Amino acid sequence: MKYRLIPALALALSLTACGSDTGPAQEAGGAPKEIRIGYQLIPNGDLIVKDQKWLETALPNTTITWTKFDSGGDVNTAMVAGSIDIGLAGSSPVTRGLSAPLNIPYKVAWIFDVIGENEALVARQATSIADLKGKKIATPFSSTSHYSLLAALQGAGLAESDVTVVDLEPPDIQAAWTRGDIDAAYVWTPVLGELRKTGTVLITSKELAAQGKLTADLAVVRTEFATAYPEALRTWLVQQDRAVKLVRSDKQAAAAAVGRQLNLDPAEAGRQIDELVLLDGKEQLGADYLGTPEQPGALAENLRSAAEFLNAQNKLPAVPELSVFQQGLAAKDLHDAFPG
Amino acid sequence: MLLLLAIWWAVAAAHIWPEVFVPAPGAVWEQLWLTSSVHEGRRGYSGYLLHEHLLVSLGRIGLGSLYGVIGGIAAGLLIGLVPTVRTLLGPLVTFVRTLPPLAYFSLLIIWFGIDEPPKIWLLFIAAMPPVAVATAEAVRGVHEDYLNAARSLGARRWQLPYRIVLPSALPEVITGIRVAVGVAYTTVVAAETVNGVPGIGGMIRDAQRYNQTDVVILGLLVIGASGLLIDTFLQFIERLLVPWRGRA
Repeated sequence: MKYRLIPALALALSLTACGSDTGPAQEAGGAPKEIRIGYQLIPNGDLIVKDQKWLETALPNTTITWTKFDSGGDVNTAMVAGSIDIGLAGSSPVTRGLSAPLNIPYKVAWIFDVIGENEALVARQATSIADLKGKKIATPFSSTSHYSLLAALQGAGLAESDVTVVDLEPPDIQAAWTRGDIDAAYVWTPVLGELRKTGTVLITSKELAAQGKLTADLAVVRTEFATAYPEALRTWLVQQDRAVKLVRSDKQAAAAAVGRQLNLDPAEAGRQIDELVLLDGKEQLGADYLGTPEQPGALAENLRSAAEFLNAQNKLPAVPELSVFQQGLAAKDLHDAFPG
Repeated sequence: MLLLLAIWWAVAAAHIWPEVFVPAPGAVWEQLWLTSSVHEGRRGYSGYLLHEHLLVSLGRIGLGSLYGVIGGIAAGLLIGLVPTVRTLLGPLVTFVRTLPPLAYFSLLIIWFGIDEPPKIWLLFIAAMPPVAVATAEAVRGVHEDYLNAARSLGARRWQLPYRIVLPSALPEVITGIRVAVGVAYTTVVAAETVNGVPGIGGMIRDAQRYNQTDVVILGLLVIGASGLLIDTFLQFIERLLVPWRGRA
């Protein structure tokens, strides 16, 4: 095995190493030649910006490359390889990225959405979380749902060993639920919608966020990029803010844009947007979120508590200091984009 | 082997790539201890010790291969001996053999649930064709003289497959079994993508998600080493059962 492993690794590495050489080349005017964005199919403002080509319009001399990712873990890998500049990842993968051994040089620049009613714990028969003692609960491991599930169990006074937690991807959760193999699941839409038809919602991520166990989809920007092109980053932030404001002012247009990106009819897209909590630039400067450069927001504490959870799960060797996460928030860029 | 280890160590020590890409041999070694022991109240990896992961996987491989071998020999005998069955089953075996496991595993999940049955089915489906093909070929290659000799000595029709055909086909069948166990071993990682913990494939998959490359490499080394051991064991069985092989 060893014989084969090393050349294969070496090959993979030389490929990624080649990839990392092709960072964005500087242009005279201070605008980058290219911005490489990693996006995910989540019904938030990012898809509106993409659909409306606002970034392309605002930065006419910059090539915008959009690459779709399926998970925050993949976004982390792409960041390590230096193949994207701005990416979307859940709070759990971002926590891992900011901690050792990954120590990815990136910062959280924006909260795309706070996970709300689009992720929830559904049970077949139980009426309270405590009823789940001894039951089998499925969730996709390493996801925000996994984190929320364990937080919910803890909140109800159950230890992880009191239940059987099974690692299943959403489509498999639906199959296992239909067959009756699992008693409960913490999962996101659209599978959540199917489970809700025959089950009872015990807790949603929105309720957990109110208890301080916040999960969110975050924008991470490569520190190198943020330092070299603060103006481009500001432009990017302004477009995201504009998308959130469009959702508030013209719901139909926003739903139509998101629907086009997700292949959903506008009514369904609109419903899915409503399940998320979207925050505009000013709100994100608040103490609950990114905060200000002088007073980093509570998001840093959320990330640190996610690190404690990962450490307890044996997925992180050590819990970093709070300051690591405070420095990981690009509050200054956000403040510059939305002064006053 | 030592040279490769030295190259690995040198590449890791040079820090050309981040540690996530090339973990140092020392880190993998440390994971071997961490995953094999209870430390700071934590038990191995994902709550199971390394050997527990491995044993569960080996159990699955054993069971899947066992069914695969039984089914494969039965199918191979039929295909090899009965021309009608050959025309019917032959293409079917080839058809199944070309299917990638991950492509139909989701169906097995829907049909058999998320626990052991779909995993055993997957390994069975993967392990059966090599045995069936090897058996069928070997059976067709049995010397006509052996059969005629047996018949003239008064053997009954139903005695022929068991007394004559199978023993003379045994060397090829055992080669088929060795291939089948190898296929089952490579398939176990696919089988453990769904609810695979405990299991060595489940452990690798879990570690992959968290970019714990050192655990991934440890898992690969364990799979490779145990695969080597199993094959050595099968070769030993082969020498025991068909001592005449290679001396004809």
